Amino acid sequence: MKLQAKFGLPVAVLALVLAGLAAPAGAQVRNSGASPIALQAVLNDSITLTLSANAVNFNLTGSSASNPGSTSITATTTWLLRPNVGSLKVYAFFSNSASALTDGAGNNIPSADFQISNNGGAFTALTNTVPFGGANAGLQLSSTPILGNNKSGTHTDVMNFNINLVPVPNLPAATYTGTLTIQAQAI
Amino acid sequence: MKTGKFLRIAVAVLAMTFAASMASAQLNSGAQTIALNANLTESLTLNLSANAVNFTLSAGSAANPGSTNITATTAWTLKPGRTAVGVYAYFASAAAALTDGVGDNIPSSAFFISDNGGASTALTNTVVFGAANGGLQLANVAITGVNKTGTRNDVMAFNINLTGGTLPQLPANTYTGTLNIQAQATP
Repeated sequence: MKLQAKFGLPVAVLALVLAGLAAPAGAQVRNSGASPIALQAVLNDSITLTLSANAVNFNLTGSSASNPGSTSITATTTWLLRPNVGSLKVYAFFSNSASALTDGAGNNIPSADFQISNNGGAFTALTNTVPFGGANAGLQLSSTPILGNNKSGTHTDVMNFNINLVPVPNLPAATYTGTLTIQAQAI
Repeated sequence: MKTGKFLRIAVAVLAMTFAASMASAQLNSGAQTIALNANLTESLTLNLSANAVNFTLSAGSAANPGSTNITATTAWTLKPGRTAVGVYAYFASAAAALTDGVGDNIPSSAFFISDNGGASTALTNTVVFGAANGGLQLANVAITGVNKTGTRNDVMAFNINLTGGTLPQLPANTYTGTLNIQAQATP
């Protein structure tokens, strides 16, 4: 009680002085309301496929099983995918299995006689029905599982080509042209 | 009842939503094309199993067979429009198919070929190659839609008949000559 009586008055005076000094400064601060900014960042999914070249020539020998293409072509597939994608597949296909290449005069080389060796694998004819192109006119070149660590990635398919003329031994001499399409799909 | 109907509708809506979700999960790359150009050039080749035949002649004899048969193998890959392949045997001179070089000759009319076991026939016709009256057509293959590419064998057996004209008086000597075999696709 004696201490309180002894120091109580000076402390109270000091507090009042400090409050008097602080009061003018606090009166100058004015805050606005908080204005929110909605942020949205969209990272679009994408697949791009590029080819190292866009033309292949063949010097055919009648009835021969081995008519290799003039060059190999590399398909480079690059992707950035959503979490719900399970795999990415690359396909080669023709629009028509009966006439993959044609001389325009009714003589055709079917897709069954057109072969691709992918990344050094066995030569395989384009006889499957794939998501693109004609029925029985395609080939799946590769399938890449999409996991947690490759939602974005790249894959290369090095394609070598061959035309097998054994099944079409009566093909007349002519120039045969066609279009092979390469396309990727994530699903 | 109402609860069951509502449940069925809810399941259907969920299924459609799931299907739509799966469809939207599919992502395709752009289609990249490869132009294919395959050239099957026209060809007509003729190969012989041997390139020499010897005869041991008997003066005035009708039968002086060659030492060996020779097989002519003709192979072709033809353009549309060709209708025939002919195979011909001929000499450059009808009067001197074989000669001793000093004026004594064996004419082509005394030289006979039996083709594929057929009758032995003298080279007295004017064919598309060689001298007038110095040839023989061995074969004529009709070209249709089924044999634009093909092959054919002509097995030739040879004989020199020394009975005609002044040939029985042919002097002893070595007589040499060149018989040519050639094929032609027409038109």
